[in-house]
Amino acid sequence: MTAIALTQILLNGLALGAAYALIALGFVIVLNAAGAVNFAQGELVMAGGFVSIALAPLIAEATALPGLLLLPLVMGLMGLIGAGFAWIAYFPVRKRHQVAVFVSTIAAGLVLQHLANAVFGAAPRAGPPLISGNGVTVGALSISLQQIAVMICAAVLISGTGLFLGRTQTGRQMRAVAQDPEMAAAIGIRPKRMITLSFALAIALAGAAGLLLSNQFFVSPNDGGLFMLKAYIAVTIGGWGRLDGAVIGALLIGIFETLVAALTSYLVAEALLYALLLIMLVFRPSGLLPERARARV
Amino acid sequence: MFLKSAAIALTALMATAPIAKAETIPVLVPITGFLSLEGSSQRNGAVLAVERFGKDLSLDAEVTDTGTSPEGAVTALRRALEGKPSAAVASMLGTQMLAMLPIAGRAGVPLLTVSGTAKITEIGIPWVFRFFPGDSVVKVAQAHYAVEELGAKRPALLYQTTAYGQSGAEHLRRIMQDLGAPLVFEEAIDISVKDMLPALTRMQEAKPDLILLHLHSGSTALVIRQARDQNIALPILAGSAMHQPTTAALLEPKQLAGVCAESASSPISEPEGSVEDFTAEYRARFGTEPDAFALAQYDGVSMLIAAKNAGARTATEVRDWLASNSYDGLAMTYKSDGKGNMAHDAVVVCYDGKSAVPAIKRRYENVSGVK
Repeated sequence: MTAIALTQILLNGLALGAAYALIALGFVIVLNAAGAVNFAQGELVMAGGFVSIALAPLIAEATALPGLLLLPLVMGLMGLIGAGFAWIAYFPVRKRHQVAVFVSTIAAGLVLQHLANAVFGAAPRAGPPLISGNGVTVGALSISLQQIAVMICAAVLISGTGLFLGRTQTGRQMRAVAQDPEMAAAIGIRPKRMITLSFALAIALAGAAGLLLSNQFFVSPNDGGLFMLKAYIAVTIGGWGRLDGAVIGALLIGIFETLVAALTSYLVAEALLYALLLIMLVFRPSGLLPERARARV
Repeated sequence: MFLKSAAIALTALMATAPIAKAETIPVLVPITGFLSLEGSSQRNGAVLAVERFGKDLSLDAEVTDTGTSPEGAVTALRRALEGKPSAAVASMLGTQMLAMLPIAGRAGVPLLTVSGTAKITEIGIPWVFRFFPGDSVVKVAQAHYAVEELGAKRPALLYQTTAYGQSGAEHLRRIMQDLGAPLVFEEAIDISVKDMLPALTRMQEAKPDLILLHLHSGSTALVIRQARDQNIALPILAGSAMHQPTTAALLEPKQLAGVCAESASSPISEPEGSVEDFTAEYRARFGTEPDAFALAQYDGVSMLIAAKNAGARTATEVRDWLASNSYDGLAMTYKSDGKGNMAHDAVVVCYDGKSAVPAIKRRYENVSGVK
């Protein structure tokens, strides 16, 4: 395999990993805020893809940045859906057994899947490109503009989320509720409001990932399970409850999958990924970075 | 007094008048899961045939989603058998058919399907009727077109890891070898794989002169798009998923240049005649374009209704009629080969790089020599 081909494959892996990182980031935000896994995270990524397809006609085809212009709109709408999701699938069952929350989110995910099937049909669909145009050629290396845009968008959103959670008052309040809801309430923070905000942020990120992935890799109502699995593995590898770990885990998965598949085959890459995951769970169950979350579900 | 007399007369009339007993045809197909696109076509074809030809027999279609698990299909079939149907439309997913067939065999109910998996008619259960040409027909057409029309000598094959994919790959491997053009590269691709570049990169190292695909819709479009994005201009001869209008809609016409596909038929490529009428009616009823799976299942249910019109009432009578008669459907003439394989024709369609509607380039009739 030539160096050019290898670079091309690495770029693909990085772009895919960057999109996975947004999914994993949202996954961890909910995990920390609610103390439970949102099993509908994958379906919400799929929903983000379909929302961007539905909104695409609003942006004139002639524009050079159709997806980029849609991104804030999709994230805003998905954020609202996220807030509603918290009040439908989380708050009504949060004081019951922990199993109730994940069953509730699984059910919500299935509803989303069937809804997408009924509204958009079963066929895969292509979302709007972030940037119009084919790509740039550097020597023998051809890089698609879409790939570059996906990586830049994901990097901006991940950094923005980090800054929001770390540097703003609202972000600190969200983290306080995630760490100790009772203590946060005692000092005047409203846990329900912060948990709702966490769901909104996480699902807005899922929506962004849906838009980023939908053009290059299409979207169909059944894609949710795949995205959920990648997010779960990324968080397990990176460190349960770690935002930075989730991003690192997702990038590693993206690069590992494409690189090993290019050197061997998809089946070997998949088998090796799960074998490494098993080894990691045995020898370093907390993941690459120390674990922060209260409990695993 | 008048009302009382009228009521008695009406009751007597109702007691003596022949009341047509409605029969429900179960339609057990995957509407959710990775095969939902093809399953929806199958459902639409069956429902349209019942609506169009089943009125005189008071036939009705009851659709049940089987998902993609064998358990889901078996549960749906068991529930449907409680209604003692004379036949059922069954999933096009091979693994589901293999799970359903022993149950249908024990119950003595014929299953009508468009599954392409070869094995379903090879396990010796005489209650299955396949109205879509199996791999032993379409893969022969695909391989012959590759060698005879496209001049392939060093073909590469990308196929799905599913039962459908493995069955087709096995046939292609053997037929291409027999035709003197053995595969120089092959790779199995899981349905969840999104990035095809690793496979395409390794494939190029084998220096193929043609890419053969045997993949489902989404994977087919991803391979073609990513190959063209990487300036891989090799001719591509795909499986039947490529002829589906929804697959072509994922690609730009210029990406489709040099792409052909095998299929049982291509309704949207027929500009006139009864197939065109079917296409218009299908569009009006479902708001989408029909594909070969929809037309094949439409023909299959039409043949079932023909059996009933010919006097077949019980499940055994229906089975015997389907097994011993031929039927002129819209796509082709159907006749059992003794194992329940009813379809023996195939077509190869090609795109011109300007339109998403393919043209039929070659028809392969009676490939299995049954008719």
